[in-house]
Amino acid sequence: MGATTISDLARPSLTKGVRLQIDSTTGKSVLLYPEGIVELNETAHDILSRCDGRTLGEIICELAEEYEADSNAIAVDVRHTLSDLQRRNLIEFK
Amino acid sequence: MTVPRPYALLAEITYRCPLHCPYCSNPVAVESAVSSGKKAGATALRNHTTTHNGELTTQEWKRVINEAAALGVLQIGFSGGEPLARPDLAELIRPAREAKLYTNLITSGIGLDDDRLRALRDAGLDSIQLSFQSDESNLADEIAGAHAHKRKVDVAAKIRGAGIPLSLNFVIHGRNIDRLPQIIDLGEALGAERMELANVQFYGWAFRNRAALLPTREQVNRARDVATAAKARLAGKIDIFYVLPDYYETRPKPCLNGWGQRYLTVNPIGDVLPCPTASSAIPDLRFENVRARNLDWIWRESESFNRFRGTEWMPEPCQSCPQREIDFGGCRCQAALLTGNAALTDPVCEFSPNRARVDAVLRETNLSNRPHDWSYRNNPKPSPTSSSIALP
Repeated sequence: MGATTISDLARPSLTKGVRLQIDSTTGKSVLLYPEGIVELNETAHDILSRCDGRTLGEIICELAEEYEADSNAIAVDVRHTLSDLQRRNLIEFK
Repeated sequence: MTVPRPYALLAEITYRCPLHCPYCSNPVAVESAVSSGKKAGATALRNHTTTHNGELTTQEWKRVINEAAALGVLQIGFSGGEPLARPDLAELIRPAREAKLYTNLITSGIGLDDDRLRALRDAGLDSIQLSFQSDESNLADEIAGAHAHKRKVDVAAKIRGAGIPLSLNFVIHGRNIDRLPQIIDLGEALGAERMELANVQFYGWAFRNRAALLPTREQVNRARDVATAAKARLAGKIDIFYVLPDYYETRPKPCLNGWGQRYLTVNPIGDVLPCPTASSAIPDLRFENVRARNLDWIWRESESFNRFRGTEWMPEPCQSCPQREIDFGGCRCQAALLTGNAALTDPVCEFSPNRARVDAVLRETNLSNRPHDWSYRNNPKPSPTSSSIALP
């Protein structure tokens, strides 16, 4: 699935076995999964901490509000981040 | 030199194992690995004769796990030998999970029934890596030296049933490499989320059995195509990791992402190793023991972790090589095993003055008929004062 084709109604969630937590050494967010660790930037953290059953559309709206930014620009970033993580099997869409 | 924080601890909680795979990377002579010149370990052995072969106790492992978490470790792999041989495995997973570590179990699956699986899951186990030897019983059991394959297939279904993420780990070598398509089919059929197809690396028992295990160039090329195609076909469904056979490469693997940079291993008797194979491959390196020192000191200060940390130790051609912080000079254990000197460039590197040693091994494999006999991995001898615990 390409970044632009993800529907606003899709509900992203962490793939089974993937955990989001704070790395107490750095204070940053990390994704932990079998044999792997991904350090997340703040935007990725803000997106992934909302992947709990909310739709993509809802996540984009909330972030646009929080960042006081244009929701079209936010949508591009969010889709890009999520499709990258989906390609690495770290998130899935339901 | 600034010392980085480690990310992952490999907890080799026992060397006991119900399988006898000739490619095992465990030390061939556990007794000598346990007692040779490593004073802390040897002393500890004498003082702890009530456990198997001087294995760390439950309490000692709990302390190690907490020290690792404090040091920054985020992932722990429970391995061995067969970690299920320790009845206290769930007792070790629980504190690891409480310390927020991501917990992996690396297992043959032998002894994993529904009750045990439930106990491990309830303790917070995050993921299981289940080893297989091939895609079907005859060959798989011949490689394992035990009737294991059918039980593993059952165990895979139980793991799926318990909802625990499942990786299948295959060690690929001359005897099973031509079965790679069927091996990948098995992973698909068993519903694995992840498959690790790792060409055998030559340490421990595998080094001893190298002539019987090394695939030919033709086999390697075919397997690479199969793995590449499967990776593309199964993208988004199964994550496939194909580990290249490094003897056939021209540049060495970035072993451990650098010595003492990200990983540490604690072996069954508490010796702390920068790499799990270092105790057998590098006999002149003295390792510290968790019974004598805390993990933080060992990671930062010990001679064994600092010997090959960074780039200052590097000889030529590594020292002036633009790749030196990409492959870190390759593998110290491989340098030691192939040249007798752990401080030399990994002989896999095309610029190593010792590359001819690797080429000679490849020539032998690619010209001659493969010898079929190998030595099966033995179990460590129990210490005289301990009775052995039967595997469930």
